[in-house]
Amino acid sequence: MDESARNGLVSVIPVVLLLLVGFALPLLFIVYTGFMPSRSFGLIGDPTLENYRIIIADGYWRPLMWSLAFAAATTVLSLVIAWPIAKALVVHAGRFASLISILVAVPVFIAESVRLFGAHLFMMPKGGILAGSMNALFGIDVGSILFTPLATLVGMVYIYLPFAIFPMVLGLSQVPREQVEAAKDLGASGWQTVINVELPIALPGILIGGLLVFVLALGATGEAAILGGQSVVVAVQSIEQRFNYAQDWPLGSALATVLCVITALVVFPSMRRLDVDRLFRR
Amino acid sequence: MESRPLITARIVWTTLIVVLLYLPIISIVLASLANTRFMRFPHRIWSLDAYRDALGLELTYDLQWTSLEVAASVAILAAAFAIPGALAFARYEWPGRSLFQKTLLLPIFFPQSVLGLAALVTMSTMGISPSWKTAVFMHLVWVVPIVTMIVSIRLYGFDVAQEEAAFDLGATRFQSFLAVTLPQMMPGIVSGALFAFLLSWANLPLSAYTSGADSTLPEWLYSRMSTNYAPMVPAVSVLSIVASVFAVVIFQLLRIGWRRHLEERNV
Repeated sequence: MDESARNGLVSVIPVVLLLLVGFALPLLFIVYTGFMPSRSFGLIGDPTLENYRIIIADGYWRPLMWSLAFAAATTVLSLVIAWPIAKALVVHAGRFASLISILVAVPVFIAESVRLFGAHLFMMPKGGILAGSMNALFGIDVGSILFTPLATLVGMVYIYLPFAIFPMVLGLSQVPREQVEAAKDLGASGWQTVINVELPIALPGILIGGLLVFVLALGATGEAAILGGQSVVVAVQSIEQRFNYAQDWPLGSALATVLCVITALVVFPSMRRLDVDRLFRR
Repeated sequence: MESRPLITARIVWTTLIVVLLYLPIISIVLASLANTRFMRFPHRIWSLDAYRDALGLELTYDLQWTSLEVAASVAILAAAFAIPGALAFARYEWPGRSLFQKTLLLPIFFPQSVLGLAALVTMSTMGISPSWKTAVFMHLVWVVPIVTMIVSIRLYGFDVAQEEAAFDLGATRFQSFLAVTLPQMMPGIVSGALFAFLLSWANLPLSAYTSGADSTLPEWLYSRMSTNYAPMVPAVSVLSIVASVFAVVIFQLLRIGWRRHLEERNV
């Protein structure tokens, strides 16, 4: 074995150990707990598929459907909103672009719950920031979308939009300017250039962004709790309820396992095609 | 060239969305300037009472301290894990590298609250009692992959020949790593540690299930938002945001100082 290979295998050890103990082990535990009898504790019961029967029979798949719908809608909306922004950041690079990048990045480092609570205060009916200002300034009463599924969706787009923008910028920045100019000189329209020249090259970045938004939105809970109120229950909320209030860890674990399997089904096929080296190397 | 209206539309759109991104944060600041428990905006009396209450309460310092303890440990440990991690990610050619690069993405593409719950189940089965230390460990699982990638981006631009030159001139492998490669990685390590600090400082879903009785700032804020609202809640939120801005400034100063130090040494 040559030296580079040996060094690589040695230097990977700490991170691999961390992921084995902190990621793989907890996942194994939760998958196994999912096969324990409902409402039991510990891992000594006889393995059973009872929890999965309950999930199907007692409507626990409904929150999962909501989460899938929210995740799909959030992904599409985020990508559509992000496209002009990513284009602006790449085409008009310079002081404007760096300021915008910083402004988009800063909120990511503010606790999600705090930002969602800010959105809650903004949307509140009557005494909320928007409704109150509108009433005081123009004397009009605006309604409120707070505590509706729409508020949950708005919250998800708000929280996960930056994760669509930055990978898209990374992808778009790999489109050679000359190629776009050439397409236009040869008579391609704006749309034709986007579809035939820019999209294919920028696709890996867009895919990563879309995938990230989808997976994060699938596992989101704060939006539904803080903005959606009781209007709908999303997947992770239903998992948390099993753990916290019902004290039914096996059923909660089975629900979590289902969510993990769906995440894996989305992530693994896309990841197979991904060339990490090419995405990072300039 | 692109048409004027298209360019204008794009810039207006970008500006609009950025403004929208800040409305909730502005709302938090506005809400903190009230002195009544039930918010009716615009406030009849604008006041800083909530900040006085927040700063006068010992609990806020405990929360800030726990959060700081966690975030600082995560920053230092994440950097320590990411140095060898990035070398394996970007520097060395070894069988399994591509698999490693993809495996590293998995904790990022994973719902954090599910990971937190899974860790809670694991700890309770194994008889480990959760505390801020277990929270640090679980933050690392999520943060180390991110920091490793940040450091790797630096390493991709690194010319391996430099290290070879040091080796040929008689340095040992380890000496040439310390003298040549590590300083090159330093800017990545510093920004990685900063990212780790900020992400850990703001994290709720992992802390909520793995920190046990040691409550971090986002945990306390979340519980007060839902049950016992007072203007102090947005005030503490604003203080926590100010604290992370402060952390960024300190890191930047350290980075400038480090660069000066390098320049002086080279002169």
